[in-house]
Amino acid sequence: MVSLMIPLATPRLDSDLIAESRARPEAFAALFDRYAAMLYRYVSRRLGPEVAEDLVGETFLVAFRRRDRYDLTRPDARPWLFGIVSKLVSRHHRDEAARYRALTRSPLDDVAESPAERVEDGVRATAVRPLLAAALARLSKGDRDVLLLIAWAGLPYDEVAQALGIPVGTVRSRLNRARRKVREALGHTNPLRDEE
Amino acid sequence: MDDLTMLRDLGRGLEHEPPAGLARQRRRLLDEAAGGRRRRLTPWAGGWRAGWIALAAVAVVTAALVVVPTVLLRGTTGAHTVAPPTGDRPPKKGGALTVLLLGSDRRPTSAHVGDLGERSDLMVLLRLSADRKRATAVSLPRDSMVRIPQCRSADGRTVAAHQDMINQAYAIGGLTCAWKTVETTTGVRVDHAVAIRYDGLEKLVDALGGVEVTLPHAVNDPKSKLKLPAGRSVVDGRTAVAYTRLRYVGDGSDTARIKRNTALMQAMLKKVSRLDDPAAMASFVRVAATSVTTDAGLDLDTMLGLARDVQRAGTRVTALTVPWRPSVKDPNRIEWQQPDAARLFERLAAM
Repeated sequence: MVSLMIPLATPRLDSDLIAESRARPEAFAALFDRYAAMLYRYVSRRLGPEVAEDLVGETFLVAFRRRDRYDLTRPDARPWLFGIVSKLVSRHHRDEAARYRALTRSPLDDVAESPAERVEDGVRATAVRPLLAAALARLSKGDRDVLLLIAWAGLPYDEVAQALGIPVGTVRSRLNRARRKVREALGHTNPLRDEE
Repeated sequence: MDDLTMLRDLGRGLEHEPPAGLARQRRRLLDEAAGGRRRRLTPWAGGWRAGWIALAAVAVVTAALVVVPTVLLRGTTGAHTVAPPTGDRPPKKGGALTVLLLGSDRRPTSAHVGDLGERSDLMVLLRLSADRKRATAVSLPRDSMVRIPQCRSADGRTVAAHQDMINQAYAIGGLTCAWKTVETTTGVRVDHAVAIRYDGLEKLVDALGGVEVTLPHAVNDPKSKLKLPAGRSVVDGRTAVAYTRLRYVGDGSDTARIKRNTALMQAMLKKVSRLDDPAAMASFVRVAATSVTTDAGLDLDTMLGLARDVQRAGTRVTALTVPWRPSVKDPNRIEWQQPDAARLFERLAAM
């Protein structure tokens, strides 16, 4: 009367999932399962945990509604998702800057560091944090997106370019400018590592 | 330590682990995927949807098929009734009977807003042959783009004809508008219309004293909290609902779910046909009446007669979906595939 079949193998590529979700919308949930936590971590760094939850939800709704426009020749959906995240984060531009400014005044209370890490990094890392945060607060939206997609999301240049819809050359120039400003804020604390 | 390393270090310090609340965001996505698109008409209903309701959508066919022949006996129970549409309607032919079934849900907080809080997530055109031996259930996907005729809204406004998703008809003008929309778009004369709320299924199965399902393999699915051995089991309402909602078992497809629903449907019909204890029947009818809206034309005699016929004939149900394709204008919507859809409705009307 009822037939229960053996589950089909899950498609591996993100693009497969997105293609499948066009006919079977609920398949999109698999993409959520893959990347929601990763995106949450990234957004929680930039905007804090309260905003992050809703923003990640919103990101997937936007992505879902645009799934028909996804370029299926791109197997990895991360640049696309980070692109949407960046747009949504930019709406909170002021809150983000305020968050970084707040860090310049008070020590991080939400740092979960092991004593070992503390010893390794030394006091200096803690000392430069307010300076770093102040520099982040002052960056332009575009520069900050590039810098943080590279430093915090760990995307390579070409994927940052894809995510933000800008040429790779622009990624490089924005990154250089952003890093220069950060280093200026640090007062060139490490002149030996001025250029990569 | 270079600037990027320090920046990464700062980032790690600011990072938070995903909370349980992400599950809520996942549900939000699933609701959207299941067609939660009511924002335009009812802004207060947006964003939020009880996810299970969409998952249980097909299950309504089950409840409906049982409800149609038996429970429409609301008679003295004072359930809601509506009037059939007015104006030009397809002609009535022969002894076959066509019933429009609507599965609707009601947001828990909207009870005081009345019918406006209800959405139709499932529309099924059910045709019972003249000899009542055959029933064909054609489901009309809720995001089908169709022309919704001029309807009167609950607050008395006249809403002009326009293109929209078929399930908007119910939101605009309730059961009567949905009825009119289905008649004008399919050309099939609809004799009666019934709206059933999802929350009724569980109660219906319980009122039947449970139903029997047969499984080839044992199921242990934490997602739907279903645990059943292989072979025959008698399940209560809650388990039956979980059974219809199984999504992560089998191939996880809609087709597999529709199969299970058909099976449950048949199990319920079987149970109803054996319900000869008047007390049990009465209690079943009472339960069903609370979750049903129908037209006044389905009076007690009609329904009792229908119930007897279906019991005697041992009606066999065929479940179909109207042929469709992604809409040309908006790939997130669908449109009926012509001429296949028109042919299907012609066949249905001739059955």
